Amino acid sequence: MKNLFRAAAAAAVTALALTACGGGNSTDPSNVSPAGEIKPREISWLLSRPADGAVINIMKKLADDYAKEHPGFELNLITTPDRPSYIQKLETLAAANKLPELFDTDATPFAQQLAKQGKMVDAEKLLKTLDMYDDYRPAALDYQRFDDGSLYMIPFQFELEFIWYNKALLEKAGVGVPKSLDDIPAMCTALRQAGITPIAIDGQDQWPLERYVAYQPFREAGPDFIQKLKKGEAKFSDPAGQKTAIWMAELGKAKCFQDGFSAQGYSDAQNHFTSGQAAMYNIGTWELPSLATDKLNPAVRNDIDFFTLPTTEGSVTAANEFVSPSGIGMAVNARTYDPLVSDFLKFALEKYPAEYAATGALSPTTDVETAVPANATPLYQKALDQAKDLGEKQAMPWDTQLDPTTNGRLQQELVLLVQGEITPQQFTDTMDKTIAQNAPKFFK
Amino acid sequence: MLPNRSRTSVLVFLLPPLLLYGAAVLFPILQSLFLSFFSWNGISDMEFVGLDNYVRMFFADDIFWRAFLNALIYLAICLVLQLGGALVVASLLTSLRRGRELIKTLYLLPAVISTVAIAFLFVRIYSLEPVGLLNQLFQWVGLGALERPWLSDVNTVLAAVSAPEGWRFTGLYMLIIYAALLAVPKELEEAAVLDGASRWTLFTRIRFPYIRPVWITTTIMATTYGLRGFDIPYLMTNGGPGQSSELLTTYMYKTAFTSTDFGYASTISVFIVIECLVAVGLILFLLKRKADS
Repeated sequence: MKNLFRAAAAAAVTALALTACGGGNSTDPSNVSPAGEIKPREISWLLSRPADGAVINIMKKLADDYAKEHPGFELNLITTPDRPSYIQKLETLAAANKLPELFDTDATPFAQQLAKQGKMVDAEKLLKTLDMYDDYRPAALDYQRFDDGSLYMIPFQFELEFIWYNKALLEKAGVGVPKSLDDIPAMCTALRQAGITPIAIDGQDQWPLERYVAYQPFREAGPDFIQKLKKGEAKFSDPAGQKTAIWMAELGKAKCFQDGFSAQGYSDAQNHFTSGQAAMYNIGTWELPSLATDKLNPAVRNDIDFFTLPTTEGSVTAANEFVSPSGIGMAVNARTYDPLVSDFLKFALEKYPAEYAATGALSPTTDVETAVPANATPLYQKALDQAKDLGEKQAMPWDTQLDPTTNGRLQQELVLLVQGEITPQQFTDTMDKTIAQNAPKFFK
Repeated sequence: MLPNRSRTSVLVFLLPPLLLYGAAVLFPILQSLFLSFFSWNGISDMEFVGLDNYVRMFFADDIFWRAFLNALIYLAICLVLQLGGALVVASLLTSLRRGRELIKTLYLLPAVISTVAIAFLFVRIYSLEPVGLLNQLFQWVGLGALERPWLSDVNTVLAAVSAPEGWRFTGLYMLIIYAALLAVPKELEEAAVLDGASRWTLFTRIRFPYIRPVWITTTIMATTYGLRGFDIPYLMTNGGPGQSSELLTTYMYKTAFTSTDFGYASTISVFIVIECLVAVGLILFLLKRKADS
């Protein structure tokens, strides 16, 4: 029996030692044009995008075109649209050192660690070598950058986030479009009194509520606040942090979000808005096909409009600066980067923008014009035009910035704060403590 | 005593499953124990931290204790629904003359439906906007005041996520207990009835002592399943709102796969293993003592 235990323990140690040693052999991440012959083979892209969405359809088509010239080439697309599941998959594969040739990631602290370990190809160099760097919208690239300004992910989208609203419902409640973020709680009270749900929100996925907590600090202290907060250099007890904690509690007190929002999903929230029950809905241009075309419920079609993130008094960011994400980015695995991957990326990235813009979406590059679909309402063009007039700063979604433990705790505590279960003071204490505990490990 | 040759053959046949068990169950447990002494996020170098993770778990982690308490409440609700419900239904079944098979099948049905389907079903049942079955029922019977978003209310969410798990396996345990009740000798019961025993005395003095061994087994099964409960709470609320429906298992999963804190997650999993062993030991001890007295 004793021997058996000893053997089992030895086996456990060996197996762990083996997995721990597996991470050594990476190539130089700054060598973006590897020399050698192109040998076609199957490559994989682990991604988190809608299975029948434009990005996947276009890349499939481009891969087929490429395979015609390079028999034996195949692009294997493995998608997990559900973001939390995807992140788990990605992190587990990274831990096992089994990442495929291409993989999606936001500019998270975890991705930054991968980049630091030389596991990702330098995207800035790659795009410059392909002579495409200047075609990209600066905002689209900035969204993908790490704090130190380095770029390791390539964007495939460009989106703008607006607050969509129902003119008729606002009129019914006798309120106008808010001029300041601080007007929203009072607006919610008025809407509730008129029997209208003020804001429809997808509480189940948690990131939509986390957007709101980012707004006040972005106006009050600019994009730097979250950069400092996540490292523990700024605190929720600072003025900008206090402002957002108190504002979120006010939103909750004014019953801004639909009852039981925390258990409602993405489509529940959207239906709540498009069926004319909720007055406002915060979502990006990726929903243009359902909000600004004849697919939208005819009963509300003429009443829907949008406004961009309101400013506040003394705001340090301008009205044309708000959340403008370029979606999850694609990283290139440095370990498997070879002449084939390099050649395929060159082929695909050059052809992608024109194909993508033709679907009616905003390309991450500026060299193509988006085609407005035939069934679009006038709102479609109005939304696209916003992209032409953007300020330099952009509000980063906090879920891509914070370390995962702090992020998880923030998402939980926000629900409690908005539901009135905890006070802004308790929220502040818990979050500052959590950041102090977890940030040093991630940002050392 | 088996002859020598057949004893060898028994060993030969037992060895492969034993090895499989070792590789699939014991090895991961040992591996978790090993990992629990390290700080490791999956891609960094593993750093030996000694008992730091255990100290953090017991003294510096408010979520851990909250999740532990939640897990105990979750277990209690599941046990009452599963064992209590099963015993009541099985006893009633034995006194039924017709339709036994139909009722058995109906009760067993939830156990064969996939967990994901059950979770989504109950999310709809508990929903307030659009109004779900439960709130609709309250409206119909004039208890509109009880209407609430069951899964968003911190006071009801834990019970709300426990109930589907309890409901789901009631039928399974009912079937086991029903089989045991059928095996109670009829002549014993008849003799007791002739002596003037009431139904309650009949149950406590004859039926229950007779099914005690089966009862112990089902209690152990239900308890260990309850302590390992994960899927339904994870799918329905992901532990929220806040930590109101966070169980040790969901917390461990998040720590490992969202926070990528594999060392600390292993510490929690070691605790879960020990907790399950202690629970089984306790049940055996209590029921044995009762049987002896």
